[in-house]
Amino acid sequence: MPVRVPILRQGRTLIASIQEDLSDSDILALQARVLEDVIRHRATGVIFDVSALDVLDSFGTRTLSDIAAAVQLRGARMVIVGIQPEVAFSMVLLGLTLADVPTALDLETGLAMLGRAA
Amino acid sequence: MDDIIASSGGRHGPPGGQIADQLRWFDITETDRRQAEALAVTADELAEQIIEDFYAHLLSFDDARRHFRSDEQIARVKKGQLKYFRELVTAALDEDYVRNRRQIGQIHERSGVTPTLYVGAYAYYLHRLGHRVMDRMQDDPGRALALLLSLIKIAHFDMAQALETYVEAREATIEQREREMSELPTPVLQLRDGLLLIPVVGTLDSYRARSLTVKLLEGIRDHRARAVVLDITGVAAVDSAVANHLIQTMTAARLMGASSVLTGLSAEVAQALVKIGVTGEALRTAGDLQHGIEMAERMLEI
Amino acid sequence: MTGLDLAAPQMQRIERDGDVVAARQIGRHLAAEIGFSRPEQALIATAISELARNIVSYAERGMISFAAVDAERRQGLRITAEDRGPGIADIHAAMTDGFSTGNSLGLGLPGTQRIMDEFDIRSAPGEGVTVTVVKWKSR
Repeated sequence: MPVRVPILRQGRTLIASIQEDLSDSDILALQARVLEDVIRHRATGVIFDVSALDVLDSFGTRTLSDIAAAVQLRGARMVIVGIQPEVAFSMVLLGLTLADVPTALDLETGLAMLGRAA
Repeated sequence: MDDIIASSGGRHGPPGGQIADQLRWFDITETDRRQAEALAVTADELAEQIIEDFYAHLLSFDDARRHFRSDEQIARVKKGQLKYFRELVTAALDEDYVRNRRQIGQIHERSGVTPTLYVGAYAYYLHRLGHRVMDRMQDDPGRALALLLSLIKIAHFDMAQALETYVEAREATIEQREREMSELPTPVLQLRDGLLLIPVVGTLDSYRARSLTVKLLEGIRDHRARAVVLDITGVAAVDSAVANHLIQTMTAARLMGASSVLTGLSAEVAQALVKIGVTGEALRTAGDLQHGIEMAERMLEI
Repeated sequence: MTGLDLAAPQMQRIERDGDVVAARQIGRHLAAEIGFSRPEQALIATAISELARNIVSYAERGMISFAAVDAERRQGLRITAEDRGPGIADIHAAMTDGFSTGNSLGLGLPGTQRIMDEFDIRSAPGEGVTVTVVKWKSR
């Protein structure tokens, strides 16, 4: 069963809150929807909340980087929020450092970050 | 006890834990055992006198005398020694024997008998016994020498058991200390809203480095921290593995959304970091804790 | 590989990307049962994810099996990923960061090796790939 991640809108910021373990095709579907929504709503910011995830592997991380790059090409900024301690350390060991994507502790901090940039 | 014997089996060197291998290593044959045993009667007759002489010798050293609190204690130790030397010539050199010898080694180690004292006492006994045996067997000095050489082989095997125990006991003590050091708690201090200070003191072995990572990352989550100062002034030795681990931890902190500053690096460590290719961009450092905190506070303002 | 099997191994077929999710969930549950800490569970789940994805990406189908192991008073989890795909001609190159012949970052295998305590890879062209990894519980 494909998982449909809800994308909320707050002003011109989109919030994609991933609540469960996604398969690769779920992630790719999410990527397509986020990019459509950025255009449709002329969003200036996108937040990916991954606080419920307990794994972010190379595919997931790379796709998030790709989404961030595409969002940026649309003139918006993206922040990933809520990477859990154990997930963060696993990512580092895998060599996944998300060097080009801003991160924030939680949704609130992420929103503040985008607010300051706006 | 079994554990101690078994654990010695995994150690390096030709004589493994197997007694048969050890005997082969010391080149101790059935002939040697028979020849040593041939000395049993002589040794029995002479042992008491040798031990008396030995204690006279021993007690002329102030350091040694301090080990003995009373005459009864001296009498008891003498008796033990008599038994020890009697067993040396009649020993079956089997597992029970080795276990017993190791037990004695442990007791020696614990009561502060140094290897020098132990080996010296042995040498004294062998030397005295040797002279007396040569005297008694003047008519057959060749045989006397053969018997003594066999006894010396067995004595060396015997000493090896005790010395192994010394080494093991020391190793266990060192391990214990290291464990204690690595169990030193690492506090996570909140200096102000969003700013954590983690002072690390002691040794950072891989176990403790891992638990430091967990504490730092969970500290960020629990205190909603946006900046962390990691102070390693009090860390004894930072090798490249530990440095690498610290960098990974700080990178993970950034993934969680917190910036971090490393303070208290020694010049050597800083150099080691440059060698493994760490640059200022990947790792923010400050010369001392004060500057580190100031740096972290500026990060909070951004 | 070291270790003595404690329980009958569990298996997960890997044919589509949903199976990757299933495999890492099995691994995570087993890791929790054995008593791995949460950070260790995350590492194990991540490694399984990489191994399973390699199967989907390069071999189309394969199998991942899980077994609790016990050696020298240490407990651990052994994971074996097997496929009958095209295999790897140059294992050395595949174990270098950045190497990739398919649609992944090429971090999968060396990253997995960094995450786990033991890592063994066997392959020959045309004969598939078998990767066996073990994670030991920290004391």
